[in-house]
Amino acid sequence: MDNPVTKDRWHFEDLSEGQAFTLGPEAVSADAIKQYAAEFDPLPFHLDEAAAKASMLGGLAASGFHISALALRMLVEAMLGQCAAMGGLGFEKLSWRRPLKAGDSLGGTATITGLRRSASNPHMGIVTIHLEMRNQNGQEVMAMTLSNIVEIRHPVPLVLGPAE
Amino acid sequence: MTRFWEDIEVNVTFPLGEHQFTAEEIIDFGKRYDPQYFHTDPEAARFSHFGSLVASGWHTIAVGHRKMVDALYAEAERLKSLGAEPGLSGPSPGINFMQFKHPVRPGDTLTYSMVVASKRPSRSLPGWGILFNHLQATNQNGVLVYRGEVVGFTKMRHTPLGARIAMTLSKLPGLGWIAGRRNGQ
Repeated sequence: MDNPVTKDRWHFEDLSEGQAFTLGPEAVSADAIKQYAAEFDPLPFHLDEAAAKASMLGGLAASGFHISALALRMLVEAMLGQCAAMGGLGFEKLSWRRPLKAGDSLGGTATITGLRRSASNPHMGIVTIHLEMRNQNGQEVMAMTLSNIVEIRHPVPLVLGPAE
Repeated sequence: MTRFWEDIEVNVTFPLGEHQFTAEEIIDFGKRYDPQYFHTDPEAARFSHFGSLVASGWHTIAVGHRKMVDALYAEAERLKSLGAEPGLSGPSPGINFMQFKHPVRPGDTLTYSMVVASKRPSRSLPGWGILFNHLQATNQNGVLVYRGEVVGFTKMRHTPLGARIAMTLSKLPGLGWIAGRRNGQ
């Protein structure tokens, strides 16, 4: 609670299961797809229209890591950036369900699906967040479940045995 | 690029190289994709429980993925130089799990590696095989920074007759995108 950056932000106690946040939407251009790919995922179907058309994606499509990174930024803008967040533990069940083509838009929903207190650190709460990302036609593009740490405002004091 | 599914060995570690993270690139990635204060603002980050700027976990795995793609290209070149035909990698249907185990600070150097933990023919995409790739990175002190299981498609050298028929059927309009319905198909 002595962190001046996060003292007025949502803490663990302010969050509730089922709480949902709207992410995006925003359009993803061919240039943005190629720029991300050139930096982090230089596979032909993310870089070149002709190669992409011949691939199983059927046209220039965003790197899956690019889609995830865009979803992450939307999650930070809509939720994590408003929280007394303490970092991510990881994620599971990330599935890229459909290609995101040049000119498609990406948006979605983040839903809190779990809240539990850390067993080892009384200041840390673990928030489970399920993300569903869709294109402009409402078709699922990506889903994943993240675990992030959010600070507990009032840690439960350590309970000691009765003093005899 | 890479090898055909039949030629990929299971449980053999491929070193993917190293990368040193600078404060500048940590902040640059953070501002673009993970704008939390401990990834973007070195002064404010001092108040965080990390005590300093740290890289977004997503930045560390994006660099690891780039290292893997570079290694696939290098392997294709190596095979071509030996007169062999390289294979073909497809898009990934997903990541089964990823665990961020330790923070990465400016100046840290990560060493990346990959192991194909198991493989099997794809049930949904005839002519392709599925790889369960275990990726990890350790820092300069040997501390594990992340580990995860990324699923990948790779082309088979020999496509069975039944799969060839299914492949033809899958090109009919309306059957559409069948690769990405679920992880690990």
